[in-house]
Amino acid sequence: MSQIRIVRIHNELLGTYGDQGNAEVLAFRAKFHGITTTIIDVGYNDPLPTNGDIYLLGGAEDAAQLLSLEALQRDDNLNILHFAIERGAVILAVCAGFQIIGNKFWANGQEVDGLGLLDVISVPGDKRLVGDIKTISTVLGFELTGFENHMGRTILGSSAEAFGKVVTGNGNGDGKFDGAVLGNIFGTYMHGPILARNPEFADLLLTRATGRKYAQITDPLALKYASWRRKVIK
Amino acid sequence: MRLKLSILLAKLAGSLSKNVLRKSGETIPGRVLLALYPKAISELSKSRKIICVSGTNGKTSTTKALVTIISKLGTVTTSPSGSNLDRGVATALMQKSEYAVLEVDELHLSRVITEAKPVAVLLLNLTRDQLHRMHEVKRVADRWAVSAKGAPETLFIGDADDPFVELALASAAQSHRVSFGGRKHLDGAVCPSCGIYLKWNRNDYKCACGLTNLNADALFDSGSAAYRNATLANVTGQLLGGKVIAIDEQSLERSVNREYNGVKANLRLTKNPASWTEALTSVTGNDVVLIVNSREVDGIDTSWLWDISFAVLSGKNIVVCGERGLDIAYRLHVEGIEVEVTNNFESAISKFAKGSHVHVLAAYTAFHELVRA
Repeated sequence: MSQIRIVRIHNELLGTYGDQGNAEVLAFRAKFHGITTTIIDVGYNDPLPTNGDIYLLGGAEDAAQLLSLEALQRDDNLNILHFAIERGAVILAVCAGFQIIGNKFWANGQEVDGLGLLDVISVPGDKRLVGDIKTISTVLGFELTGFENHMGRTILGSSAEAFGKVVTGNGNGDGKFDGAVLGNIFGTYMHGPILARNPEFADLLLTRATGRKYAQITDPLALKYASWRRKVIK
Repeated sequence: MRLKLSILLAKLAGSLSKNVLRKSGETIPGRVLLALYPKAISELSKSRKIICVSGTNGKTSTTKALVTIISKLGTVTTSPSGSNLDRGVATALMQKSEYAVLEVDELHLSRVITEAKPVAVLLLNLTRDQLHRMHEVKRVADRWAVSAKGAPETLFIGDADDPFVELALASAAQSHRVSFGGRKHLDGAVCPSCGIYLKWNRNDYKCACGLTNLNADALFDSGSAAYRNATLANVTGQLLGGKVIAIDEQSLERSVNREYNGVKANLRLTKNPASWTEALTSVTGNDVVLIVNSREVDGIDTSWLWDISFAVLSGKNIVVCGERGLDIAYRLHVEGIEVEVTNNFESAISKFAKGSHVHVLAAYTAFHELVRA
């Protein structure tokens, strides 16, 4: 496959914390691998495309998060996501997006059912967790850095595995783990955007989406940026 | 009596800080005053007319413009430049005057409205800024709306094209809603009043709950942020009995010209997606320095750099520096724009030939350091 479709879900709603950059980094890294990409922005009123290879969700405020959830539960959207997962498509969901794809979460003071794609539930904590975060990814086996800014405390169910072990920061709230992963579905609290600060993770998502292994990219600036962040976040 | 004594001690502390410690001494008096006399702001506000200016961008320069207008009506005191927390307000109020025009931080506005009981509050705009501190735009907007509702004696003037400003105007008993013909907002997809998907028709919004920028009390042509703020200052002045003055819009851009070894530099303050986007439209030349820091007032996170399109910088000579120079270098790299990364401003500006005109877009802390130097 030399062409992939990156679906940026509800950026107008889930674009508060810069996570829209994840799509740009994926497209940028893909170019090095000889993959052409199309970024498809899906609006609140648009149906989800059925043939996406990577679906992205970002962070948001409560009201926006609820609107996004409502739109994803509307029409055939949830089925489209289930089929996408069966096809082996990748989902990367950050912060509010991570909570949306879980079983339950809280927004505007009430508990709501999420999409149930990841076996996690999120509840509000007593204080906002804000600051740099560093984890060791269980999937990649090395350090990831980012920035977290959330109230949520996320509890993993039996079928989800933590995405990272926290070195610095809070992650899911207990200071031990960040995010969750199940197959090609990734959830995390890390902004930055996460793929800008950890370009190797973008490469992994491209590999997962296409089923192909790629040669290592030579991009000194990407490497310098990623390793600098890993060094300065103690 | 105790208030007078507290003011005396506060002034003494300020002058010590200035003359002995060589600090700017701008916020020390207010800080000391509030510690000695917590009710100082409400006491000192009683005998005069207070006007507050708040918003994400343009507070300092709009406050200055409004001071010029109001000074024709009577004596005016104002906050020290950029010192907009409660201590800056307290410092300003230590001087006797008929009017006080105060620049107030978005999150401190509620307290100042409650204590100072202003005759007028000018709300400029509310956009993404320092999310580690503000958390979310809506959170700040909700506080403004509650304050506006609780201040029936105060006239709220603001830019109704910004849905978050309009939420406060709509909550106020007395408001003067100004429109510049509508304008898109980065966080405008959700109605800040009722939470449903906000209905936009080109640049105008109209929600089923009633929130809209249409039917404003005053309608002006669209224009730059500096023009809008100049207009809002004049509208506010007029409503308070002042005369419209000609305001040099460039003075409202927070831009300063400097020369470094024969290199002419135009320094401009850029601190969040809205101010960057505004500043990028002013980059007409080919030589550019970008400075990104991440101290408290800059915002300790830099993810917001990905909210901005830097496409207009394509093909220009760009040098970046600052504590987070690498963040913007990589952001531009992904957008297909290559830059040179340097360690500090001196080495960045030295990359340009004598006689060249360089646009310097600087983070909050970097801008202030360069202007002070």
